[in-house]
Amino acid sequence: MTTPATTAPRAPQGTGVSGGEPDLWCTYAAVRTLAWLDRTDSVSDADGTAAYLTGRRNADGGYAWSRGMLSDAWATFYCTQGLRDLGRPVPGLDATSRWLDSTWSGDAYAMLPGQAPDVWATHFSARSAAELCGGRVPDPDRLLDWLSRLQCAEGGLSWSPEDARRGKADVRACYYGVLAWRAATGQASDATPPWDVPALTDWLRARQATSGGFHFGPAAEVPCLWATYRAVGALGALGETPRDPDACRDWIMGLRGPTGAFVRWEGYDVEDVWASFCAVGTLKALGAPLAPVADAVTARISELGCAGGGYTYREPSAAADALSTAAAVLSADPGSPRPEGVRWLEGCQLPNEGGVMYMPGRGSEVRCTLWALAAGAFAEDPAARRRIAGWLAGLQNADGGFGYWEGRGSDMVSTAAAVETAALLGGPDGLGLDLRGVRTFIDSCRVSPDSHDAHDARLSGVSEASRGEPYAHGNVPGGEPGLRPALQAQRVRMLLGPGFAEPAEVSEAVRTLLARHRVRGGGYAGEGHRVPDLLSTYEAVLAADRAGLGLDTAHLRAFTDRVRDAGGTAWSPLAPGSGGPLADCLGTLLARRLTAGPGVLPVLALS
Amino acid sequence: MTTTVPSLEQIHDRTRSVLTGRIGDAFTAVPSDADLQQALGERYDSLTAMECISAVESEFGIEVDFVADDVRHWFSSVERMVRFTHERLEDTVALGLRS
Repeated sequence: MTTPATTAPRAPQGTGVSGGEPDLWCTYAAVRTLAWLDRTDSVSDADGTAAYLTGRRNADGGYAWSRGMLSDAWATFYCTQGLRDLGRPVPGLDATSRWLDSTWSGDAYAMLPGQAPDVWATHFSARSAAELCGGRVPDPDRLLDWLSRLQCAEGGLSWSPEDARRGKADVRACYYGVLAWRAATGQASDATPPWDVPALTDWLRARQATSGGFHFGPAAEVPCLWATYRAVGALGALGETPRDPDACRDWIMGLRGPTGAFVRWEGYDVEDVWASFCAVGTLKALGAPLAPVADAVTARISELGCAGGGYTYREPSAAADALSTAAAVLSADPGSPRPEGVRWLEGCQLPNEGGVMYMPGRGSEVRCTLWALAAGAFAEDPAARRRIAGWLAGLQNADGGFGYWEGRGSDMVSTAAAVETAALLGGPDGLGLDLRGVRTFIDSCRVSPDSHDAHDARLSGVSEASRGEPYAHGNVPGGEPGLRPALQAQRVRMLLGPGFAEPAEVSEAVRTLLARHRVRGGGYAGEGHRVPDLLSTYEAVLAADRAGLGLDTAHLRAFTDRVRDAGGTAWSPLAPGSGGPLADCLGTLLARRLTAGPGVLPVLALS
Repeated sequence: MTTTVPSLEQIHDRTRSVLTGRIGDAFTAVPSDADLQQALGERYDSLTAMECISAVESEFGIEVDFVADDVRHWFSSVERMVRFTHERLEDTVALGLRS
């Protein structure tokens, strides 16, 4: 059943902040779309775009969302697929293959080593392993069994077997599951899908609205191009078609904007990169001719290229994002508020998912929602806050934790962001969250000698010394311990309250962690106590304030003086220049804390 | 027992050897007065810089304070690393911290 949209699907009003920088997902989508149209000769600054993709490669062979971050399956697929579409060599496939193996859980793939598997990661990594590295998944039989358990009673596929038991089917999960099956079986013509295919087909077909577009699932508010591409793509990979292909094609062609490129929803006013990606992908899956849209889409994508290579979602000067905008609002002089930025953030709540998106038009993310609320968005809008609360409750995974967005495996930073978001909405009690589950997930990330047996394979990279440290936590179960996940775990315990954690024990844990990672010259280090960094220092001051511990302002000032200058704030004393708007925001807020009392720092989660 | 601080030339040669081991062949043709970030680009990012600093510390038995010492300045070229190391060794000997 379709419910009326509660939010008009229009682009945000107000004024957002754009760095004019390329984005990996946008770059992948732009290059992929041009490849489908056989127009890769139109890629703007092909050398720069290839360098942008190659530059995300880490020494472990995987690729990261941005330089300096950990490798993950999503970035690895996008970077390598983008390079292939550009006709460029993909370096060091052996190392990439070994990194992919490190994310294998035994049944399926996880986004990061140690994380629980989900169908997003399994799709990306199965395809990378088979189509890029020319190999096979480590254990095809186990994978097929895992994939078979994604089917819900109603016929659709879900993000994980646990979510399938909870009935959380989604057309995106269907697409990822079916494509992972095809990759795992080498697309053999005689391979039999491990599902009740008629039930799956019926469920997918039932997602088509009378208008011709598709919904993500029964509860989605409006049909959109993203859902339509995933549904039609899944049906196509199964050798099936939508219930009404002609209506689908007509609906897609009705979503062309003034330039002839596409918008994601009816009534939306920005022709962005992923709308064109989804539209062209759907037309291709339907077997419809691409020539009628090729010129317009190519021309529109050429407007989205960034200086130096890569793409963003719309014209770079107008491609604002939620984190940069929230950062500008938060770091503005308190006497000079930026209501136009808050208004822009509030416009990032769009149909189908109640959270705030990183960039308007893609999926809601828990960290962006936290930043937006911290910046004051939705303060006077109870209906919008209720939508966020409902979205948040539906985001919680069966293991009790939260991932970046719907269906993603749990991690500490997202779980802490979700609980802090609930606190800003008046919770975490009363929002329908499973608080005991939250604590269970937090506890599962604790790194100790006792946890070695439970996570034997995943802890192989963790040193004995780290395992023996009290209160050590990783970002995921079995992950490398660090100061930030350890303090995030303690923050969550504080928020859960005395019924879940003893306040005295939490304060002692924070005190111990801060002492262990305090850098003699100033600031706090993520690992050990040698090189301080901005994120760890911000987290340390936040946790100290929450725990009621005194702040050594001279020690903090020594660090902020080192990383801040007229040009901005660096991520660490070793990093060059300003780290951009987010680093500048954290630096400004830390400097503000030096002259103000505890409680002035907003909770901001990055990694 | 007296301690002799290595000459600037000796520190220079040992520093280049240590950095070659960390950065690889790309470093060989980089002049000692060149800005490493400009010469090596992303090969000399903050992670590599940290590894190089640790290697120099280990080679000469000195300790770098990442906040009090201006590491971005002193570890931006081989020449500056040599001067930093030489002065730190002289200070160490003058303060009698090493026999």
